[in-house]
Amino acid sequence: MIPVSVPGPRPLQSMVGAEVRKLLGLPTAWVGLTLGLIAAPLLVFVNAPALRRAIESGQIPDVSDVGYENLGIGLLGALILGVVAVSSEYTSAGDDSPGAHQLTATLLAMPRRGQMLTAKAAALVLVAAVQGALTATATVLLTRTVLPVPPISPSRVAAATLYWCLLALLAYAVTLIFRNGIITLTVFIVNSSVVSVSYLLTKLTPWAAYLPDIVGAHMFLRSHPSDVAIPPVTAGVVMAAWVAALLTVAAYLFRRRPA
Amino acid sequence: MDPWFDAARGPFRLTPHMIAIDGVSRPGILHDVSFEAHPGRVTGFLGPNGAGKTSTVRILLGLDRPAQGKATIFGFPYASWPRPLTVVGALLDGSGAHRARSARSHLRWMAASNGLPRSRVDEVLEIVGLTGDARKRAGRFSLGMGRRLGLAAALLGDPPALVLDEPLNGLDPAGIRWMRTFLRQCAAEGRTVLLSSHLMTELSSTADDVVVISNGRVVARGTVAEVTAGHDTLEDAFLALTGAAPR
Repeated sequence: MIPVSVPGPRPLQSMVGAEVRKLLGLPTAWVGLTLGLIAAPLLVFVNAPALRRAIESGQIPDVSDVGYENLGIGLLGALILGVVAVSSEYTSAGDDSPGAHQLTATLLAMPRRGQMLTAKAAALVLVAAVQGALTATATVLLTRTVLPVPPISPSRVAAATLYWCLLALLAYAVTLIFRNGIITLTVFIVNSSVVSVSYLLTKLTPWAAYLPDIVGAHMFLRSHPSDVAIPPVTAGVVMAAWVAALLTVAAYLFRRRPA
Repeated sequence: MDPWFDAARGPFRLTPHMIAIDGVSRPGILHDVSFEAHPGRVTGFLGPNGAGKTSTVRILLGLDRPAQGKATIFGFPYASWPRPLTVVGALLDGSGAHRARSARSHLRWMAASNGLPRSRVDEVLEIVGLTGDARKRAGRFSLGMGRRLGLAAALLGDPPALVLDEPLNGLDPAGIRWMRTFLRQCAAEGRTVLLSSHLMTELSSTADDVVVISNGRVVARGTVAEVTAGHDTLEDAFLALTGAAPR
């Protein structure tokens, strides 16, 4: 018998399709998707009374930000997606074969590591983009039904969606470096909800506003607690550069480590 | 590199052996390991635990890199095949599936990655006898069912070569017999079958050719009869060759 493989380009498209299927086949990915999609719109209703009072008393510097500030919690969904896309590859297959994990099957099906990582990143961006766009649109539209805020801005929703994708890729790269999802989730969740180390650092130096976890918000928010004004495009470029750098490190390590 | 054409060697030619390990070394693990596995035959890769069987198989499948030498399938490294599942089916430790995923979901993404039709998933589930457990999560599979799921994944691309690392581990007697019959049938269809094992008696009734590895070195290779020559059984030959025989 001879191989039935036919000459031709490597089927990157089918690899991306396989990675989308793989991601959506994980129950934890659906936790991320559902959480991301529901939490931010829900928060609109929870925050509405307090925000209305704040707007009426003129305490909010830029009213156009109100709808977008609630997006923060939905970004947890992007983080979870980025983390599980990688951590699921390293999860032990079970007690019978503790050393076995899905990564072996992945590399048997897609042995070129760089191509596999590219396909996986592309699949993650596709899923995160859909989730980001839906969540941002729903949240901002809902905000307008309960609060006196300006109409939805397509460019700001697009910027928020881009931030969503970049954050998912950031979590993807960091998890790939540590080969462990718990570390990434702990660092990101503690830093974004309990105490933001990055935000505290901005009290010491304004340059801390360019750290990867907080710079991206400048893409779609006009006012910012750190009082450092970064133009949206600059924020996007800086965040993309952070993501590119971390992805490069992650890919370098991944290609050199044993599977 | 396009496996069908190599500028240095000219157009693709059918090589006499499907699987070739050529002078593969890894410091402290493998020392100049060379052997071939031929179409239509079951080649047993025999050695005690820790002798280097899994290391050799992982290098063959592109999961690890050799310090020296090369391992090829049909004349080309595993990773240079655009759709590797259609060239080699591999079974390694465990089922390969994430434990939260159903058997069918695992096979579906694998099939999609190599452009294989969805219908093939149900076909391979049928072949290994897991049709009734297709929706069950891999984490709830018994060891034997996990091996069957791993084998189903190996068969997805209907590959002309099969590489199986300790496929009999965790199988009950009925499962071992089923696997033996299955592998003999694969060889009869003209496939190249390479299986590693430390179970001599099982291998002597399954394999045509044997490669014996000990401490990272190939100490014997040939047909079962050739390797057994001068000893009562393949087991005796193995124990003598690997230096484990009682003196």
